[in-house]
Amino acid sequence: MPSFFKNQKSKNKLQPQADQTNNEQTVSSLKNLLSENLTLIKEKTGNSSDIVIRHFKISVNNSLAAAIVYIEGIVDNQAIQDYLLQSLMKDNQKNDLNDQNALELISEDIVTMGNVSFADNWNDLLSSLMSGDSLLIVDGINRVLSVSTQGGEKRAIAESTTQMVVRGPKGAFTESIGTNLAMVRRIIKTPDLWLESMKIGRVTKTDVTLMYIHGIANDKVVKEIRKRLKNIDIDSILESGYVEQLIEDQTVTPFPTIYNTERPDVVAGNLLEGRIAIFVDGTPFVLIAPALFIQFFQSAEDYYARFDIATSIRLLRVFMFMISLIAPAMYVAVTTFHQEMVPTTLIVALAAQRESVPFPAFVEAFFMEVTFEILREAGIRLPKAIGSAVSIVGALVIGQAAVQAGIVSPAMVIIVSITAIASFATPSFDMAISARLIRFLFILGAATFGFYGIILILLMGVGHLCSLRSFGVPYMTPLAPFIPVSNEDTLLRLPWWTMRRRPKLISDNKVRQSKHQKPEPPSSRGMINQEMEEDDQNET
Amino acid sequence: MIKMKRKSLFLLVMTIMMVLLTSCWSKKELTDLSFVSAMGIDKTKDGRYELTFQIINPGNVAGLQGGGGTQSPPVTIYSASGDNLVEASRRASARISRRLYYAHTNLVVIGEKLAREEGINILIDSIDRDPEFRITTSLVIANQSSAADLVKALTPVDKIPANKIMKTLEFTQRKWGENLKVSFQEVMRSLESPGGEALVSGFRLVGNPQQAEKLDNLQQSAPEATLRASGIAVFKNGKLIDWLYNSPARGSVWILDKIQGTDINVDWKGKKEALAYQTVRQKTDVSIKVIKGKPYASVHTRVEGDLGEVEVPVDTRQPAVIKKMEKAAGKEIKKELQTAIKQAQTDKVDIFGFGEALERTRPNQWEKLKSEWDDVYFPKLDVDVTVEAYIRRTGLRNKSFLSSVKEKQH
Repeated sequence: MPSFFKNQKSKNKLQPQADQTNNEQTVSSLKNLLSENLTLIKEKTGNSSDIVIRHFKISVNNSLAAAIVYIEGIVDNQAIQDYLLQSLMKDNQKNDLNDQNALELISEDIVTMGNVSFADNWNDLLSSLMSGDSLLIVDGINRVLSVSTQGGEKRAIAESTTQMVVRGPKGAFTESIGTNLAMVRRIIKTPDLWLESMKIGRVTKTDVTLMYIHGIANDKVVKEIRKRLKNIDIDSILESGYVEQLIEDQTVTPFPTIYNTERPDVVAGNLLEGRIAIFVDGTPFVLIAPALFIQFFQSAEDYYARFDIATSIRLLRVFMFMISLIAPAMYVAVTTFHQEMVPTTLIVALAAQRESVPFPAFVEAFFMEVTFEILREAGIRLPKAIGSAVSIVGALVIGQAAVQAGIVSPAMVIIVSITAIASFATPSFDMAISARLIRFLFILGAATFGFYGIILILLMGVGHLCSLRSFGVPYMTPLAPFIPVSNEDTLLRLPWWTMRRRPKLISDNKVRQSKHQKPEPPSSRGMINQEMEEDDQNET
Repeated sequence: MIKMKRKSLFLLVMTIMMVLLTSCWSKKELTDLSFVSAMGIDKTKDGRYELTFQIINPGNVAGLQGGGGTQSPPVTIYSASGDNLVEASRRASARISRRLYYAHTNLVVIGEKLAREEGINILIDSIDRDPEFRITTSLVIANQSSAADLVKALTPVDKIPANKIMKTLEFTQRKWGENLKVSFQEVMRSLESPGGEALVSGFRLVGNPQQAEKLDNLQQSAPEATLRASGIAVFKNGKLIDWLYNSPARGSVWILDKIQGTDINVDWKGKKEALAYQTVRQKTDVSIKVIKGKPYASVHTRVEGDLGEVEVPVDTRQPAVIKKMEKAAGKEIKKELQTAIKQAQTDKVDIFGFGEALERTRPNQWEKLKSEWDDVYFPKLDVDVTVEAYIRRTGLRNKSFLSSVKEKQH
């Protein structure tokens, strides 16, 4: 190795030292005095205005002071009203209460709520307070009863906006993890659907839940995901993308190695194939791992439509993906290197269009592609009302004015529009956007080597794809390594009755359904005979 | 770890340099190319080659704004001369602003004078050697004119004259059969055959050559000067020796099994050319055998076709009538094939490849006859022609109209 970059210094001195800042909340026990506890709570929460402290007295002679503490907005006010305050303040069995047994009695006898627990250190107390529980503190007791009153405003379940289907369930996940988990639970009604929850993020303490079907998911993969999730040490998790980027196998790749979806039926389907879902609170996008390349071309609808339709649409999608990758590159290659590859009349037409264009084909293609990307990006950011205006301006500026001004050729406009439309046909946004990025590489390859360059980059791309892994599973799995059995649901989608096995390398439990699932209607003669027999019986 | 990183960075830089330093060799922008649609080859008086390039003006062919292209011609002609083709082609760059691009050259025209005096063998090499030239390019001999005149002529309908010539040949071969569309590689292959015989179609400029290159020639509904397919040039040892027209031409194309559909006029009960027999498909086989040192050839053809026209009162519903008609048509075809063979025998050119057929089937005997095949054996070759003609359909009518008229009037 020649000493090319000798001056490079080792940069590994930056050791993680951020750990110490937040761990001051030492596990100190609570005080006995109610007022002291409340003061401490106020102090620790910076006297925040949304913390509600309700003082009241229990026991007959009003000797026992108590307080309920909760945070306004993330609790269910109705529940606190009806089942906590009502029970505590109007109950008639207060006689026996004293500062020794108060909490036990209250939890056993008085509070009519489902989920209650005791907390005796500040850590537990604050985290349950922050996640929406109500704390019941009684004077003279150094424990706290935490009552689960989580609630507050949530977005209602709405239709999926990123993965729309014509046929199939419409509801998409919301930002609330509880709702999301329940939506999948409602689809898969088996006790084998196991959940594991953890809190990730030192500051945000985001709920992250692992979901898999015990007996179908591969235990090794579950273990690996669990390990990687446990390793995450970051201050905040605001979206599942954080988790995705912190646990993926290969970071230097444009291709996504973890799938995400906002459709419960897609999650259910993937769980049943042995994959593992990672729910993150606060986002409707659920991660699914391990993900395979071909999975990004499958839409939920493929499994609801009949197999011939589904197969042809899926093939169309793969074809469109190729178009979105190489169409502009093909144009550049043909017009600058391989003029002999197209029929004479077509090349004459192309030449006529390019006659007035001042740029080389490569610059033209690059310019148009970048313009389109700008339009697309601007279109997403703009408010809906202005969005349509941008598309009109874009269509006019690019489509007509640029052509009439002689800056681009009409053929290039056609190519860019086909490419743009094709890139939206890929069901997964993550895959489509990586195709958009690689497209520029292809244009560059075509501009330097022509078709040879396109093939070169395709080969490099295939090599790269084959080197990827998603949680140990090769990214290209049923194609490379080629597993004939699992190919029934890759480029093709065979009829359901033939797909007896779950995909290999992903699932532990291989058989999905029993044999002889093909529907076999009775022969027509049989039906007629049966009817006649029934008629005979009716008559007698 | 650092070492690995350094290594991969090094590799990355090398790869990027590899891509960038190649600097796009063989890159050619569309706007830097002039597409040669046809090339004419003539001989000048001082023995040099003169090339005439028909170059497409893309803007005038595929007009962007409305009906452009009428103000200026769709093609521009440049010519250059040199001691060989490559020199002439290179010299032309002094006159043309762009690089000559031959990959879309669909037509090569060779002047009759050049073809007769010097032959075309000498022209083949440079065209075949050039990586841009296609060997599927069509070859045409300018009949009674120079190649330049043919290449310069503007044509209506098909704006690019080279296209007009190619399409004319293609369709007339299919619909009439007195012409032939041959590609460069076919000519090469047949010139390499033992006798060096080849058939190449001819094209002729009808009218004044000066008028043909003007745009106002096209602004008339009946252009004064036009291009038409005319005759088939017969080559022997690479030189043009004869032209075939009319029935010898069609007969030759027929024996070569290249005819697709044509019209045969058949006499019926004393009336000349009373029936039109349109052939739909045919299959011709040539075989040859040697008996006691003497070769015998046989040509067998099987034709299927329809009745296109009946000019005599006859009831075509009767099978017997159809049988008779088939026989008469067969006879007519046989006559045509025989004239073609006779013509070839007087020219002493084995254009039908009887010699090759013999070489393929009986190589030993071919060795004996080879030396004197063209001069002795072929001219005296006994050719047995058999024709099977079938009339499959009679069009939308069965009885002829004349017979209906006759019935009504009597």
